[in-house]
Amino acid sequence: MVSRSSPKLGGAFSRALTYFALATISLFMLLPFFWMVSTSLKIDAEIFTPGIKWIPSQLDWENYTYIFRDLNMEVLFRNTIFVTLIAVVAQIILCSMAGFAFARLHFRGRDVLFLAVLITMTVPFEVLVLPLFILIRRFPFAGGNDLLGNGGIGLMNSYAGIVFPHLVTVYGIFIFRQFFLGFPKELEDAARIDGASRLRIYWSLLMPNSAPVVGTMGLFAFLWAWNDLLWPVIVVKENSMKTLQAGLAIVAQNPSRWGEMMAASVIITLPVIFVFLLLQRFLVQGVATSGLKG
Amino acid sequence: MATFQEARSFLEGEFWEKDSSMVATAAKNPSVSQQNDAYRLSRILDSDGFTALLFLFIPLLILGALKFYPVVFNLVISFTNYDLSPNFRFVGLRNYQEILTNDVYLKAIRNTLLYVVGTVPIGTFLSLFIATLLNQGIRGRLFFRTAFYLPVVTLVAATALVWRWIMNPQGGLANTALDSLGLPGLGWLTDPNTAMLSLVVITLWGGIGGNMVIFLAGLQGIPSELYEAAEIDGARAWQSFFYITIPMLSPVTLFVVVTYTIAIFRSFGLIFMLTQGGPSLSTNTLVWEVYQTAFGYLRFGLGAAISVVLLLTILLLSIPMRLFQGEDF
Repeated sequence: MVSRSSPKLGGAFSRALTYFALATISLFMLLPFFWMVSTSLKIDAEIFTPGIKWIPSQLDWENYTYIFRDLNMEVLFRNTIFVTLIAVVAQIILCSMAGFAFARLHFRGRDVLFLAVLITMTVPFEVLVLPLFILIRRFPFAGGNDLLGNGGIGLMNSYAGIVFPHLVTVYGIFIFRQFFLGFPKELEDAARIDGASRLRIYWSLLMPNSAPVVGTMGLFAFLWAWNDLLWPVIVVKENSMKTLQAGLAIVAQNPSRWGEMMAASVIITLPVIFVFLLLQRFLVQGVATSGLKG
Repeated sequence: MATFQEARSFLEGEFWEKDSSMVATAAKNPSVSQQNDAYRLSRILDSDGFTALLFLFIPLLILGALKFYPVVFNLVISFTNYDLSPNFRFVGLRNYQEILTNDVYLKAIRNTLLYVVGTVPIGTFLSLFIATLLNQGIRGRLFFRTAFYLPVVTLVAATALVWRWIMNPQGGLANTALDSLGLPGLGWLTDPNTAMLSLVVITLWGGIGGNMVIFLAGLQGIPSELYEAAEIDGARAWQSFFYITIPMLSPVTLFVVVTYTIAIFRSFGLIFMLTQGGPSLSTNTLVWEVYQTAFGYLRFGLGAAISVVLLLTILLLSIPMRLFQGEDF
């Protein structure tokens, strides 16, 4: 008998083996999350009792109240949310504009220009942080700087400085261009005949019909900005401007208060997991189609 | 006649081109001439060239500042002894020379390679293994896929903290488990002999899901007729796997190996949060030394030189992928 479904390993025994392997690996994957939540709800005495106590004998929220009271979590959250919001909006607008120009407009040097943009996709952010730091620090007429960028701290310790690398991404331009390329030419022609300008075609025809790619872009922009660590660590020195990740790096310097650290980890991870579960269709799509991540 | 002209201009894609008739009337009537100017202006504003300029100017200006300027400037300062102070001078290849002679940077090169060798083969194999299991048409696929992918979206700070707690030598879950098996506890991240191993375990945990999703997409792209034909011919499951799945997946595998290697070369967050390159330089990778040399010791010239080495390595690594994928990247 030939099975009609996807390839099988055969009998019931190997099927059981498959489930067993999957369950074991997912246990390994999920255990740290469980341990994180469990520890965050324990009192200190229980955290350090010998042996493994999987579930706290009583749920204790003291660790959570502590991190909001003493660790400035509201400030960290406000900064991160603000920066992430700007990053998401900026990338959707700017990348879709560039993607539109590369996909639907004809002008001299277009393909060369697009190739030049695409090539930079291979250049990772980590090797460019030094010049970028100097640019931000010496940004003209910002943070006490003069025209030549001397005298002050430029855009350091500012939202503008943190969000700067998140304004435009090559990946964003790329996926918008791909999507716009696939848009039926007939619809655009019909709009042209009705007298629509190119600006209108972009704004009233293409963008309202681009929900999938806007969703993918928005989700990636969210994850990149929310998860960014290296850049905020470099451009922010003042505690009042730190983001969640950079702020947590300070907490990590005092590795004895495990309860509080696990509470902080739970609190910063929850929004990401929530957004992920809500929009994972877009994420899997985006990763699977282009093979890109982070 | 007019309809013929219209039809022709429409066929030529210039439906709006009515200039000839409008110019003719404009000569007689000045108000039409004004209208004509406005019409021309709106035509320019609505041309492909102008719209492209309008749409590309800001995005490409920012991209230039984010990508093109840093690559060039990085190269320039890698030949200087720049340290943020205005007086600096060119030192030729001295920074590059230091990378190849200073023990710290030689260790960084060695550790980066160790990190790659420890992570990429096992990680690739495991994600292919899991993807294959998930592709058996099993129940609860969505649950398993989500469980494997969750670590990927988890913040690196949270990942670092929870693993640091699990691997804590005193009272950590890992040592408690070893103890209950009657085995001696390990120093994990605090011991130079096990720090890299611990880092590899944590990195594997955080990265398997991402590659699994790519493999899963690749597996679903293999036509099921191939398996059905093999089954009819009496092929066993493992034969199908080695003679159909593996060859059909090879472009995907190449892609995963290359991107994974690059990702490991770039990995900064875990090292920053967990070990800061230590203990005794057992986890100082090249990325870490870029950060440490520039922002710790303020030796921007040397840091830039390490960046250039790193960038060139990554560009070299991505060549096979570009070759095989062609225009499809």
